[in-house]
Parts: sequence; structure tokens; C-alpha cells
Amino acid sequence: MTAKKENAQRLGIYLLIVSLFVLLFFVYRKLMNESNTVFFIIYYLLFSFSPAIASLITRAVTKEGFRDMKLHLKLEKNIKWYLLAFGLPLIFFSARILLPIIVSGHSEWFDRFTFQNVLASVFMLAALSTVQSIGLLGEELGWRGYMNQKMEPLFGTVGTCLLGGILWSLWHLPMDLAGWLDGEGSLSDSLMMCGGRMLLLTSFGTFLMWLTKKTDSVFPAVVAHFMFNQSQGALGGFLSQGNIPENVDLGMIASVFEYVPMVILAGIFTGLLLREKKNAPKTA
Amino acid sequence: MTGLVYKEWKQNRWFILSMILCGFAPLLVLLLLRGEIPNADHTALRIGGLIAGFLAAGALQMLVLRGDDRKLWGYWITASADGYKGFLRVKYEMIFGMIVLFLFSLQFVDMGYCAVAADMEKTDAGSINDIAFLLGFMQILFRAIDIPFTYRFGSKKGSFIKLICMVILAILICAVLVLNVDNMDRITEMVRKVFNENNSSLILSVGLVVCLALYYLSYRITCRLYLKGVEQYDG
Repeated sequence: MTAKKENAQRLGIYLLIVSLFVLLFFVYRKLMNESNTVFFIIYYLLFSFSPAIASLITRAVTKEGFRDMKLHLKLEKNIKWYLLAFGLPLIFFSARILLPIIVSGHSEWFDRFTFQNVLASVFMLAALSTVQSIGLLGEELGWRGYMNQKMEPLFGTVGTCLLGGILWSLWHLPMDLAGWLDGEGSLSDSLMMCGGRMLLLTSFGTFLMWLTKKTDSVFPAVVAHFMFNQSQGALGGFLSQGNIPENVDLGMIASVFEYVPMVILAGIFTGLLLREKKNAPKTA
Repeated sequence: MTGLVYKEWKQNRWFILSMILCGFAPLLVLLLLRGEIPNADHTALRIGGLIAGFLAAGALQMLVLRGDDRKLWGYWITASADGYKGFLRVKYEMIFGMIVLFLFSLQFVDMGYCAVAADMEKTDAGSINDIAFLLGFMQILFRAIDIPFTYRFGSKKGSFIKLICMVILAILICAVLVLNVDNMDRITEMVRKVFNENNSSLILSVGLVVCLALYYLSYRITCRLYLKGVEQYDG
């Protein structure tokens, strides 16, 4: 079997297992809504670790072995990339959430953004990211530590960024469709959410892929993913305590800032990935 | 480096995996003692279990340092490609990893407990994650103190010297308090001023990052002291 065929087979098995977990989410949706325990088991114990579980099963089934799982910290050589993994999502979300408010002239909403509060929040995120980000290994071990490695020889770097991001966001489909399935929202709202997530995750996935390749470790991607999740919460927390009128809509400006910084980020890191690929020594 | 990681895993895998079990301590204590003390508050029992788990995990983390205080090993690892700095780095990373695993297990079990309790309509079942988080950072701080002593003086002698240092420190603090007994109100007021509602979150978050910085500093100190310690091993 050629290396390409072998990669395609492994990728196929991996994606099949991941999609079975997604299916599990849909099958037990009703039970999950009724019982916190079932929700905990399906969502936290199984679904959130499904990419890692799938990668381990695939490695075992295909007898590929467990080498090159990118589980070394490689902290000493890569400390600057760890700092980037921490800082960039924070800067991005600050731009995404705060800039539209500034541009639309509502700076008075920032009354909770004192220097002291912001500093406390940044330090808290730093502390949290070192000890609590480990749960996201359940995703990164699969997406960046396995799937991307199998995809790149098949679809190229840009193809992996795009297809990998789409698959990663489709994995979140049960969350996007939950509202519609529970009768709390329309299908078009759910699909809009899914599309928005797809754009965001495909763009952010480019940065995570670049980080993993640059450091040869999944841990910087784990930190960046954690910061991606937590930065929104931290900034949202400040805003929710502020003096913001209810049902506020910033219109087009908010929509532009929601995606444009991330697409720019994706462009930069795709460029870096391609440049590094071009400069990499050719192997026979 | 992979070789050192492999060595640590082979030697200490049971200690590492036992961190997961330590995370079950609050649940175990609750299950064992709720029959014995029927009127006890479940959250208090879980916090008791959390502290027991914290102590057990701390002891197990120290056990991974045993067996390395040998002259021959010290010389050999110094002469190896990774050197003693690589060896110490892996040790520090492993112990940090053990703390993270312990915390992760604690928080996961706690989430599971809260989910089951919610289904049983127990309204008083609060999460103890925040306490676990703070204890985790205390553990990082304790290990940052323990490890240099162990590598400088060996496992047994190191614990003894550390104990003496702690006793001296406790006596000094007591002496300072006794000498300032007349100014106690002023000191209390000062402390209250510093830890007011506005400052407390900043002080807490800075404290947590300082714990991490001290852990790194501890690694650098151990690197400096290690070769002096090796000369005294097997003595």
C-alpha cells in the first residue's frame, strides 16, 4: 500500500470514529436534556475527548503505533511560542469584542475595564492556562496531533487548513443545532451559528496548525485553544458587569470585527506555513 | 530527552497514575463517612476528602524523587548528553504534570458528583473546584520548596533539614507576632487594607503566577545545587 493510501485509510478510520461520537450526541440528546448525569457522561467523558480517543483507537487498529504523538512539552526551545499561544487569542478577542464598541462610540461601557481588573484577569488566565488547559488535550491530540498529520500529504497545507477547520467545526454541530432541536430557535439561526463557527475555527485552526508544526508539540495548541475559549468569557464577564443597555445591536461594525481579525490571522499563518514548507529541507 | 522521559515513566508510572485515584478522595470520604456521621454536611466531608487527597498526592509526588540520590547516578547523568539539567527538567516537568493530573482528576470527579447530585435534587451540593484549584497551586509551591532540599542533601537528610528550616521559620514568625502583640490591631488593620475587596482578585491572581515563577526559580536553584549535593550522596 502506498503512503498516500495508508494515510487516507487511517484518516478515514479516524473520522469514522469521531463521527460515531457525534452521532452518540444526537442519539442520546433527549436523555442528556433530562439527566445531568447522562449529559456529564456523554458530553464531558466521551464527546469532549472523542478526537483523542479516536486517534488512539486508530493508531491501535492500524498498528501504526504511538510514536510521534507530539506529547513532549519542548518548553525550553519554544517558550516564545507558548507565550504567543497565550497572548494571541487574548489580543484577537480583545480586538473582536472591544474594537466595535470603541468604533461605535460606546466607550462608556468599559467602566469595569480598570487597569487593576484587566491585570488581575490576565494573571488569572495565565495561572489557569498552565494547570487547567490539559482537558483540551482531548481535542488537540486528535485534530492537530493526528488528523492534520494525515491530511497534509493528501490535501496539501492550504487544503488541510480548510478541510481540517471545516471538519473541526462540524464536530461542534451538536452544540450548534441544540437550540433548534430543542425547539428554542430556528434552523436558520442554528445554521448561521454553524457557519460563523466554521469561519472562526477554520481561521483559528490555521494558527493552531502552525503552532504545532513550529514546536513539534501539541501543548502550545492546547494553551492557545484554552485561551480561545477563556478569553471570550473573561472579556464578556467584564462587559456584562458594565453599564450596557439590554438588547443592544452594534450592527454591521460588530459583524465585520467578529470575523475580519481572524481571517487576517488565518492569512498570515497560512503564508507562514507555506513559507516554512518551501524552506524545509527536501527528504527523499 | 525521550530516554529520560521513558526512564521516569517506567520507574514512576504507578505514582503518576495514582494521582487520578487521589482525585477520587473527596468522593471516597463522602461515601465512607456519610453513614458514620449521618448529620454531617456533605460539602464539608468532601472538603475533608479533598485535603486528604491533597496530602496523599503530595506524599506520592515526593516519592518520585527517591532513588536518585546516588553518587553513581549523579555522575552518570551529568556525563550523559542531556546532562543533569535535562534530568532535573524532566523531573520538574513530571511533578508539575502529576499536580495537573491530580487537579484534573479532582475537578472531573467533582463535576460528576455535582451532576449526579443535581439529578437527585440535592440543592446543597456545591462545587469544590475553586478550593481544589487553590490547593493545586499550594502544591506547586510546596514542591518548589521540597525539590531543592532533596537534591542538595539527599532524600532523608533533605527532609530533616527542611523540617528544621520550617520550624525555625515558624519560631521566627511567632517571635515577630509576640514582639508586636501590642500593635496587633494596627497590623490587622493594615492587612485588611491591603486585602480589600478591590485588591483581593489582583493579589490572588498575582500570587498564583508567583507560585509558577517560584517553581521555575526552584528548578534553577536545584540546577545550581545539584552537583554539590551529588558529592554528599552515599555519605
